[in-house]
Amino acid sequence: MSFEQYVVETLKTVVFPGFVFIFFLSLFYEWFDRKFYARLQNRVGPLYTGFYGLLQPLADFIKLLSKEDIVPKKVDQLLFTMTPLFTLALSIFATLLLPISSNQGVVSFNGDVIVSILILTFICITVFYAGLSTYNRYAVIGAERLFLQMIGYEIPLTLSVVGVALNAQSLLLSDIVLSQERWWYILGPQALGFIVFVFAAQAELERIPFDLPEAEQEIIAGWNIDYSGRRLAMFRLARNIELVFLCGLAATFFLGGPLGPTIEGYTPILYTLYFVIKSLFVLAVLTVVRALFARLRIDQVESFCWKYLLPLALFQFVLVRLIL
Amino acid sequence: MSTFDVPIGPMHPALPEPLLLKLELEGETVVGVDFDVSYMHRGIEKLLETKTYFQGLPLVERICGICNAAHGLCYTLNVEKLYDKEIPPRAQYLRLVVEELSRIHSHLLWLGIAAFEIGFNTMFMYTWRDREAVMDMLEAITGNRVTTEYSQIGGVRRDIPPNLADKLLKTMDIVEERTKYYVKVALTERTIAKRTQGVGYLSPEEAKATCAVGPVLRASGVKNDIRADDPYAAHSDVPFNVITYDTCDVFARIVVRAQELFECVNMIRTALKNLPEGPYRVKLPMKPNAGEALTRVEAPRGELFHYTLSEGALKPYRYKVRTPTLANLGALRAMLTSKGRYVVNIGDVPISYGSIDPCICCTARVHFVDLKKGKSWVWTIDELRERSKRGRLLP
Repeated sequence: MSFEQYVVETLKTVVFPGFVFIFFLSLFYEWFDRKFYARLQNRVGPLYTGFYGLLQPLADFIKLLSKEDIVPKKVDQLLFTMTPLFTLALSIFATLLLPISSNQGVVSFNGDVIVSILILTFICITVFYAGLSTYNRYAVIGAERLFLQMIGYEIPLTLSVVGVALNAQSLLLSDIVLSQERWWYILGPQALGFIVFVFAAQAELERIPFDLPEAEQEIIAGWNIDYSGRRLAMFRLARNIELVFLCGLAATFFLGGPLGPTIEGYTPILYTLYFVIKSLFVLAVLTVVRALFARLRIDQVESFCWKYLLPLALFQFVLVRLIL
Repeated sequence: MSTFDVPIGPMHPALPEPLLLKLELEGETVVGVDFDVSYMHRGIEKLLETKTYFQGLPLVERICGICNAAHGLCYTLNVEKLYDKEIPPRAQYLRLVVEELSRIHSHLLWLGIAAFEIGFNTMFMYTWRDREAVMDMLEAITGNRVTTEYSQIGGVRRDIPPNLADKLLKTMDIVEERTKYYVKVALTERTIAKRTQGVGYLSPEEAKATCAVGPVLRASGVKNDIRADDPYAAHSDVPFNVITYDTCDVFARIVVRAQELFECVNMIRTALKNLPEGPYRVKLPMKPNAGEALTRVEAPRGELFHYTLSEGALKPYRYKVRTPTLANLGALRAMLTSKGRYVVNIGDVPISYGSIDPCICCTARVHFVDLKKGKSWVWTIDELRERSKRGRLLP
């Protein structure tokens, strides 16, 4: 690898479409989510910091970083320190897989579809340990709920992706993107898969109606009750980046990723624009779901996942098989 | 399976007021519950003994911000019983209008809180937005949004002029239309039904045995409403239905409160249409006759008791208030106890608790503590009576 190639690759990873771009994109997504949610509820939402409150998530992030770092006496020190870092690292790594400025992510290898799903599970497990490490009663209940919930939504999520991979005859994200050049998957039988994916993503991100692990009215803040300051900032940033990742993944699998009409020479910029627009559409769907429902109970979450999501995912799978 | 204790409160996002629920959990299932309400003591009853009857009204209104109209009304009715004077009928009607208006605001507020307890923030925001229309009308009529002090000893403080009555009728149309929409949402939305049906079960027998009051009792299918049983302010002239529902769960309490909103709207319409002419207040002397008086009023949360003992002086000798929340706490324990097929999950606790529309700050409780021995205990009314005969309270 020559020096110039080395510099270009490094810039790709660190600046665009890597860490720095993802960081600001995640803050923008949080703003969009909060603003749209507020407008759906007839509120104004973030308003004063920046243009229409655009800088509010950044201000919140900086504020949390500058807060006192409290470590309760009885926590498991190692896990308490490591889990926020691990969660953040995992979610940042996940976004490198996303095809944003071209039909290929910064990191691309055969089987990255499986890895992207795997990372979601890993994030869930680290968060579970984050809850357990504090030995708080509410946190333990939250962590236990997190795992129970994961057992429910993980299989439908994977099945909905399997349908897409089967149709594209590939386990490579860039192949899946390229196979949608003429026809987006959401317009076919994978529309069912999209629905399953949206609900599973909602559960993965712990948003209403699946926000049981941190249900405010029941167990206060659930697994993150003892986290404050920098550690909480890291968890929140990791959640936002995971939000970008899941919205981007849905766009990649079902909405043709960054593909769209291009002008010679401006392709990366236009691709990025298409990616953002498509994933914002997914985010809007997620936000509407969040605004429309009440929180379910843990047994109801399980029965919803096994009774409705799983059969729907299986049905989609069979439908794809029949058409092929 | 081993159990572990989880305290809910006295500081908790689901509880706006200090109450400690000690839950014993087996996984996610509640197997035991105990609670403590003695975190708030404001000494209002004692303070009332130091004020004249006319000065006491603003203090009484501050027992509870939300059902202040009921408290003020109960106080004035109670004191008026000590005089031998007829209260003008126009005042009776105006009292009814403001009381029902505050019931609408309380029930809408509760609907929002109930939605919030099950994580349905959108409905919370919407109901509170529409409650503002009612609050604006309360402000236009009484001059204040929350502590209205509308009902005065001898009548009411202000008249409702015809133009304001028209405006109020228009607001009632808005409230009715919006309430219809909320009732539709609450009755058809699947996640609400899932979270409330079969939750917080209170059978009619249990409701009667634990002396539940108000919407909680009516939601268990027991027809009981002080406005109908013991009319106090023009209720005998303004017809209304006592709403009951028979599923005995949180869902029933939502239905009962929502249907009561329509009754309130209709009562206000009828009262404004038949508003009698005449004065709206009579002057009463500062000192009432000696004697005692007991009044019951149907507050938005249920039956409210006020008792006074007068020696014919400027100030009451003794004043006693029993708020509906205290009466409903026994029912709350019955709701949170798992029985047979009905299992209480920890997720059901906030909404079951919220369904009694709690207002802990209004609630008083006698609790004895012996600091030297480090013991605390509670005495029943019979024991207290026995001890009062002997003239000593401590053992």
